[in-house]
Amino acid sequence: MQAPDNAMLTDLGKRLVSGSLSDAALQKATEATPSHAILPWVNVVKIGGQSIMDRGRSAVGPVVDEIVANLPHHKMILGTGAGTRARHVYSLAIDLGLPIGVLTVLGTAVAWQNAQMLQYMLARHGIAFLEPEGFASLPHYLMERGAVICQGMPPYKLWEQNPEVGRIPPQRTDTGCYLIAEVFGARRMTYVKDEDGLYTADPKKDRNATHIPRISVQELLERDLDDLVVERAVLEMMLNARHMREIQFVNGLKPGQLTAALNGEPVGTIIFNAAAPGGSK
Amino acid sequence: MNDTNPGAQHVVSRLMRESLMDKKLIAGTESAVRAILPRLNVVQIGGLSIMDRGHTAVLPLLDEIIANQEEHTQVIGVGPGVRARHILSVGLDLGLPTGALATLAAKSSAQNAYMVSCLLANHGFVYLEAPFIVQLLPAMLAAARGAVFNGIPPYDLWEHPPAVGKIPPHGSDAGSYLVGEVFGARSVILVKDVDGLYTADPKTHPDAKFIAEISAAELIRMQLPTLPIEPVVLDLMTRAKLAKSIRIVNGLVPGNLTRALAGEPVGTLIHL
Repeated sequence: MQAPDNAMLTDLGKRLVSGSLSDAALQKATEATPSHAILPWVNVVKIGGQSIMDRGRSAVGPVVDEIVANLPHHKMILGTGAGTRARHVYSLAIDLGLPIGVLTVLGTAVAWQNAQMLQYMLARHGIAFLEPEGFASLPHYLMERGAVICQGMPPYKLWEQNPEVGRIPPQRTDTGCYLIAEVFGARRMTYVKDEDGLYTADPKKDRNATHIPRISVQELLERDLDDLVVERAVLEMMLNARHMREIQFVNGLKPGQLTAALNGEPVGTIIFNAAAPGGSK
Repeated sequence: MNDTNPGAQHVVSRLMRESLMDKKLIAGTESAVRAILPRLNVVQIGGLSIMDRGHTAVLPLLDEIIANQEEHTQVIGVGPGVRARHILSVGLDLGLPTGALATLAAKSSAQNAYMVSCLLANHGFVYLEAPFIVQLLPAMLAAARGAVFNGIPPYDLWEHPPAVGKIPPHGSDAGSYLVGEVFGARSVILVKDVDGLYTADPKTHPDAKFIAEISAAELIRMQLPTLPIEPVVLDLMTRAKLAKSIRIVNGLVPGNLTRALAGEPVGTLIHL
């Protein structure tokens, strides 16, 4: 085997080069490495698809105004959700017997459409749209213009994984935006939807549903609710995340909630990780 | 009209207005999946186990791929090997997150895949990056005589943080398996430098016992300290719709790949 010169490697490096990556002890040893936050001042903001974009101007206009008002104060990566057209294309593709990876390709196109529309509304403020391939330019756009727009789906395409149950891609735009925040070590992850956050049941259907202002991800998973404000995959990722300890859900139909969240105020619902930070386990 | 989301402009569909996080709704979508390319065989060439050995290991294996070209449609995934280990080492030392490490490691397997495609080019194999797998694989297989792709899936910055440590969990075994699953491939064959699964690492434990066939769930239960494949593949397999088995074969033994392509019981079969 042609291995690189070991003299340059750290002790961990020597084990990485010679050992099995599935070795639990080796994986554990990587916990002890430093964690560099790449963009610690950036805020990731997800604009909901069905909840905001599908409503058109009445909902999108005020959200756009609020984003613009915050440009001088907060740097933002704006990701978009998919919404009703994704539901239509998922229904059709499921009916046609197509696999999960194909549904993800189709859903990505809808989040992309919403990102383009949002970008047209923000273009006059110098806000650009970036594909995942262009993310290396993110720091430049954020420094120069304060925000960028991307589509929220993770770029898994045909490589999306089957859920345990059913045929809906489990990792959609909530997950894609959360993972952007996690990998860049962002300041905040805020989801802009059309509800005040998390309820004990879907408030659109159940009048007895009560609001939950703050809850740990552990307790939320324990409750095993039939419906959630966020993709389950996000909750599972939060348990393993190194940087993003909490996520916040605000109502984009109520002016001022996004601004409050960006300023660190406890509006909507905050889901937080109650366990010790990764690396100290 | 029971409009539970007033103000939104809906497209009529079965999932219209519903929460896609609702368990009952999700369960209601369970139904059969069609295989898009049922004649496809996905052959994954190990990075550390095959590629890093150079021509003595790689060329006989590629000869065997070519010898099977008439009989079997093959797409070849390739793993990254020792260069990915090196960049993991440097990246971890710098404090980079898992998503950044995944993006970096994927370039090492892209190099290996490109080298394999050059060595197979004379026989009509093409190298396809992920966007071309999405758009062009069926057309390429109709026109070309095989394809080579980067085994590491295009998760890049969006790679999942693992439960323990920071090593990206989805490597080239997972990526190749997922290609087999999404296209409904006939077989997924992982070519390594061991005869298959053992109860312990045979390189360090001479008394290790060979496992010829086992279910993914059983293998997860055994909690072996190391595996010749990425553990995440076993989790993916428990949720398989189409690719319900994978076979691990020793690519250093001539004839093993041919036997695996023919469906013979060689190496280890892991099934749903």
